[in-house]
Amino acid sequence: MRLLFTGFNAFGQHEFVSGDVDSAAGFREINAPVSDQNQCTISVGWGYSAVASGRKLYLRGLLDSEPNESVTLEALDNIKALSAGDSNCLVLLQSGQLYRVQPKLNAELLAVRLESPPHPNAGTKRSIFGTAKEPQPPIVEHIACGTHINVAISSENAVYSIPSCLHQFPGRQFRVKQLECGNEHAVLLNGNGDVFTWGNGLRGQLGQAVLKVEETPQLVEALAGIKITHISAGGWHSAGISAFGDLYTWGLNCSGQLGMRVMKPGGLLKEPTVYPLPQLHDLPECGCTKSGENECAPLQVVAGSRHTLLVRACGRLWVSGWSWHGQLGKPVGSEFVDAFQALGGICLDTNTDRVLCGAWATLLYLGKR
Amino acid sequence: MDSSFLELIKFLPRWGNIEDLLQDEIEARYILKKGTTYMERIRSGDSNGDSEEEETRYLMCALVDRNWERIHTGHFSRVPLAIRKIYAIGCYFKIFFLLLESTSPAQRELCSGILDEAQLLGCMDDWSDLKVALMDYLDKGGSESPEPLPILVPLNRILSSCDIAQLEAPSLNEFKTKCFQPEQPTLLLNTIHHWPALEKWLDLNYLLQVAGNRTVPIEIGSNYASEEWSQQLVKIRDFLQRQFGKNKGNQEIEYLAQHELFSQIPALKRDICIPDYCTIGKEDQPGAVDIKAWLGPAGTISPMHYDPKHNLLCQVFGSKKIILAAPKDTENLYPHESEFLGNTSQIDAANLDFDSHPLVRKVKFFELLLQPGDCLYMPPKWWHYVRSEAPSFSVSFWWE
Repeated sequence: MRLLFTGFNAFGQHEFVSGDVDSAAGFREINAPVSDQNQCTISVGWGYSAVASGRKLYLRGLLDSEPNESVTLEALDNIKALSAGDSNCLVLLQSGQLYRVQPKLNAELLAVRLESPPHPNAGTKRSIFGTAKEPQPPIVEHIACGTHINVAISSENAVYSIPSCLHQFPGRQFRVKQLECGNEHAVLLNGNGDVFTWGNGLRGQLGQAVLKVEETPQLVEALAGIKITHISAGGWHSAGISAFGDLYTWGLNCSGQLGMRVMKPGGLLKEPTVYPLPQLHDLPECGCTKSGENECAPLQVVAGSRHTLLVRACGRLWVSGWSWHGQLGKPVGSEFVDAFQALGGICLDTNTDRVLCGAWATLLYLGKR
Repeated sequence: MDSSFLELIKFLPRWGNIEDLLQDEIEARYILKKGTTYMERIRSGDSNGDSEEEETRYLMCALVDRNWERIHTGHFSRVPLAIRKIYAIGCYFKIFFLLLESTSPAQRELCSGILDEAQLLGCMDDWSDLKVALMDYLDKGGSESPEPLPILVPLNRILSSCDIAQLEAPSLNEFKTKCFQPEQPTLLLNTIHHWPALEKWLDLNYLLQVAGNRTVPIEIGSNYASEEWSQQLVKIRDFLQRQFGKNKGNQEIEYLAQHELFSQIPALKRDICIPDYCTIGKEDQPGAVDIKAWLGPAGTISPMHYDPKHNLLCQVFGSKKIILAAPKDTENLYPHESEFLGNTSQIDAANLDFDSHPLVRKVKFFELLLQPGDCLYMPPKWWHYVRSEAPSFSVSFWWE
């Protein structure tokens, strides 16, 4: 297992393995305190990184006063997921219990008590004496957070703006497949291929025609009838891939993160910076050695603050957006890229490898082959 | 390193000046401590563009980028002042580090743009000496404009119908009793003829010289409520060339609208005077006055909307057709429902469509022509539509 990194690392959030830069793509290998056996869970914030392996949690970066600070904590159970926000890192255990920890040297894991949903899907359990049993704390299955949003989703499909319950998706058929957060919005994908968004939509990130704040999850009508298979949320933008291998992006395009042109032809005036409705992309031919459209169809999309990465089925990585801090790998010769382009020198095994983003970072997790 | 640049460093904040501001901001603290420490080395003549300089320059850019992102999260009005101050300070340091790297004209242009962005997004109140000194330094030896701009011919006053009350340069008391207290929109004639601006600004080359290098937000598209409307940052010199220069051609209409130009460029503020009428407040206590510039070619349109404060719209050159409606007609004016446009009507006041907007038949509209030297007083919540009839420069004063 190898971890490759590119992007903002001025606070020592990631420790480089000594050796040369992988100059073909501009990524460098970083150390991760994990063994090959343990699943490695990583979440990268702006000023620190959070890595979990088994029950151990490692935070690294600018925690109190200087770069290269680090702290190790141990949870009561194996850690299933992490979400590194600015003021708190959310830590989800395999048991479904949720904790939070401040990214500081004297950090402690604090249990998060979520309020019970107003109408629990299961009936109230009663003891043999007829008294109602204490409702079990919700079992959390998904977490995500941004600078101004913290979301948890329970096994009963209750949606929390931690710790309050915002909404509960009705029915047992509703299965949450993915939850992602940008700075101030959330995007949710269910097993049926429907996309819901909520939060601050003033920059079009919710995919709705009217720009406003949505308090509760709303279906993205523009994608109704299209089965979406993968989603992502960046700082102020969102993306989705359909079962047919089509890529949609929407939200803020100030740095080309949507893969749309920033300037009008002529170079003086700008194109709109906000695209409220999902934009369908006509991606160029992949140009890799594999042939056939299906081999190169978009498979997964991942986004950071103002950059977006696309994994195509052949394993090639296509990128767009802000690149000034190295988020897109090797120097691209300008501050941003505003049309998806292939990143040379990277070929992922889509079965074992993963791509993840921090605010200004891109990481490649290359699994055991 | 040229001596004028070394002079500038005197104005840059030192650690002691900003330490308090950064108490809860660990990242800004770390980066600005490095920045101020490095600048102390420069002050004492000890430094040679080493790797410390490169690293600190990078960190400063990261600080600016990071706080740009924080300022753009949530509603601008609720962004904590501390973040906007840190952004401004970060921009100052970024500029200094860029100038340490190079003082070429291209680099100065770049720094000029950063300074203006800092003005727009950041809070620069604490460091105005630095701002002015930096603006002077960066503007020196700027590229000369290839084409001189026209000197506009002052418009002669024309006789025009006016549907509201008119007063000739009223006294403070007259204004208070006849306009302010009864909330009566009034055309105040010949009220600002003493402003140097009335003569000086007709020569667009003067504006070019004083303000050409500055970056300002410009509105593109004729109607801010329409979908094709957008805002972007441009240099005043490019805006003036495109909208007032000889080869105007097929340019889209651009409007420098509702911008606090006079805090950005103190020299221009000296060409105008805040009218005494603005000192009249509810409790007779003068409060703050928002001063905004409105500069554009013929054909700029502000669709019918209202503002929450008292407004004195003063015409420096050019003329504007204005259509007013009273607050009591609000429910007949079809305001937009969205959060942004709740104070804007959906109607086109210059082309009333009674079929799609039947309630508008009930509205009493008041029309007038605002000409150079005159001011239009509009009480709070009065609806107004404004269209420029000629290349036009207005200054508005808002107060409570």
